[in-house]
Amino acid sequence: MAEISNRRNQRKGYLGAAALITVLVGLYWGLLHAPPDAYQGEVQRIMYLHIPSILTAYLSFFLVFVGSCLYLWKKEKRDDILAYSAAEIGVLFTALTIAEGSIWGRPTWGVWWTWDARLTLTAILLLIFAGYLMLRSLTEEENRAASSAAVLGIIGFLDIPLIHMSVYWWRTLHQPPSILRPDKAPWENVHPAMLTALAINFVGFVLLYFYLLSLRFRLGEMREEIKARWLNRGN
Amino acid sequence: MGAWRFVFLAYGIVWCAILIYWITLKRRLRRAETELAQLRAFEESQSNAQT
Repeated sequence: MAEISNRRNQRKGYLGAAALITVLVGLYWGLLHAPPDAYQGEVQRIMYLHIPSILTAYLSFFLVFVGSCLYLWKKEKRDDILAYSAAEIGVLFTALTIAEGSIWGRPTWGVWWTWDARLTLTAILLLIFAGYLMLRSLTEEENRAASSAAVLGIIGFLDIPLIHMSVYWWRTLHQPPSILRPDKAPWENVHPAMLTALAINFVGFVLLYFYLLSLRFRLGEMREEIKARWLNRGN
Repeated sequence: MGAWRFVFLAYGIVWCAILIYWITLKRRLRRAETELAQLRAFEESQSNAQT
C-alpha cells in the first residue's frame, strides 16, 4: 500500500517538474523570443496565456461533463470526485481567462469589459461553475448534492459550444478564432514563432492542469476515506 | 513601457493566482493526510486493545 502511494507521489512529482519546465520555457518563448504583433504590439503576448488558459478550462469542463455523466449512470464516487476536482480548477482557469482578456482589452479595445456575446457567455460559464462549487459546499445531504451538481455540470458544459460559435453567430467585438478555424490551418494564419510560443504554453498549461488535478483528486479521495472512517467510528 | 505594463500585469496575476491555488491545495492535502493518519492510528490502537 505504502509502495503504491510512493509510486503515485513520484509520478505526481515528475508531472509537476515537467509542467514547471514547460511553463518556464513557455514564459521565455512568449515574453522574449516571439516577435511583437504588427498591429497589437507587445500586448499581444497576453494571448500566450489567454488562449492556453481558456482551452485548459474547456478541457476541465469536459472532464466535469464526463465525470458527471458517469456518476449519474453508475453512481461511483470516483466519478463524482473527478467532476468536483475538475470543476474547481476549471473555475480558476476561466476566471484567469476573463482577467487576462480584460487586461488585453483595455489597450486594444479601449475598455476593460464589454457585453460582447463571447465575453458574456464566458462570464455565464464562470457563474454556472461557481454555482456548482457553491451547491457542493452548501448542500448537506451529500448524494443529493453530487447528483444535482452532476446535472448542473452537464448543463454548464453545453455553454462551451455556444462560446466557440458565438463569434460566427453574432456580430461581435471579439475576433473569430485564429487557431481553431475551419477554413485555414493554424500555420497558414499565425507566424511560426508565435505559433510555437502558443503551443509550448498550451502544453505547459495542460501539464500544469493535470498536475493540479492529480493533487485535487487525491484530496477528494482522502476526504472520502476520512468520512467513511468517521462513519465507521460512529457505528 | 506602456504596453509592457499590461503584459506584466496579466502574467503577474495569472502566475500569482496559480501559485496561491497550488499552496492552498498543498495545505489542504497536508491537513487531510494528518487527519487520516490520526484516524488510522486511533483505529489501530483500538483493534490492538481488543486483541
